[in-house]
Amino acid sequence: MSYERDRAEIADLMARYLFAMDYMDADAYAECFVEDGVLDYAMGTTTGREAIRAEAHAFRENIARIFVDWQGNPAKLRHLVQQKAIRIEGDRAWNTGFWWEMTNAGPEGRPKAESFGTYEDELVRVDGRWLFQRRKIYNEFLPGRESGAVNPVLAMDTAAGA
Amino acid sequence: MQDYSEAYARDRAEIEDLMARYLFALDYSDLDSFIEMFTDDAEFEFARGRVKGKDTILETVKGFKKRIGEHYKDEDGNPAVLRHVLAHTAIRIEGDRAWTRAQWFEMANDGPGKSLKMGTFGIYEDKLVRHDGRWLFSERRIMNEFLPGRESGPDNPVRGLDQAARA
Repeated sequence: MSYERDRAEIADLMARYLFAMDYMDADAYAECFVEDGVLDYAMGTTTGREAIRAEAHAFRENIARIFVDWQGNPAKLRHLVQQKAIRIEGDRAWNTGFWWEMTNAGPEGRPKAESFGTYEDELVRVDGRWLFQRRKIYNEFLPGRESGAVNPVLAMDTAAGA
Repeated sequence: MQDYSEAYARDRAEIEDLMARYLFALDYSDLDSFIEMFTDDAEFEFARGRVKGKDTILETVKGFKKRIGEHYKDEDGNPAVLRHVLAHTAIRIEGDRAWTRAQWFEMANDGPGKSLKMGTFGIYEDKLVRHDGRWLFSERRIMNEFLPGRESGPDNPVRGLDQAARA
């Protein structure tokens, strides 16, 4: 095992996660989590892969309520992940990642940047595969979901045993 | 499912480098570098259709770049400075073959007062092969959510990637 190998695998998980999310593939989304995984995001905290699967089935409805295009149809929402600080210790890992999202909800169907925030993740390797143990999603545009004033990487390094 | 072997990280790093070089070549109109990233019999599918073979791809992209220069202009009528940006990329690798699904968007200086304006976004759907130790595109499909008929989905594109790798 090496850092670059684990990092590459975790980067692939992050990409697969976002495609599952944005194309509303609830099964592929749930499979990114361990069985007792936790999703902590704007809509609340959900524990367990099956509960997360059920939660993911509601994404379409939830998103359609929040993002509509200029003609009133559900907008296309895309999340993007940019820089990722990843800490790896054996079969456990932590990620602090910057995300933002865009839609086609601008004037006359144009693109629109909607919001940004951080992912603060705990990952574990199960049967040779990295999965989310816990994903906490902060959004700087939602009161109560802001990431806060302190560098989130510090908490990650503390959690990993510094 | 991807078997994340020891070689995955190395291959992924090389493919990420290719994808970055591709975007710099395209945005700076360096078509000599651009075309060297394709296999001889590569297929390229984009807004204007699907073309096959390195020479045909080069001619097609030359024409396309010219038309982009005519359509994308800054406030003074100069060709806009257009940049494609790559975000997360799912990469499946099996030996000397690989597949990707990658999120892209574009932005340019064609807003009011030459300010930054978001362009469109979409995904890349690629097939790659390792040829003489170097990863190359054997197929690149460019999907764009703002062009009717060229949208990705509705199914999760990563499902298509895993199916292609199994075939």
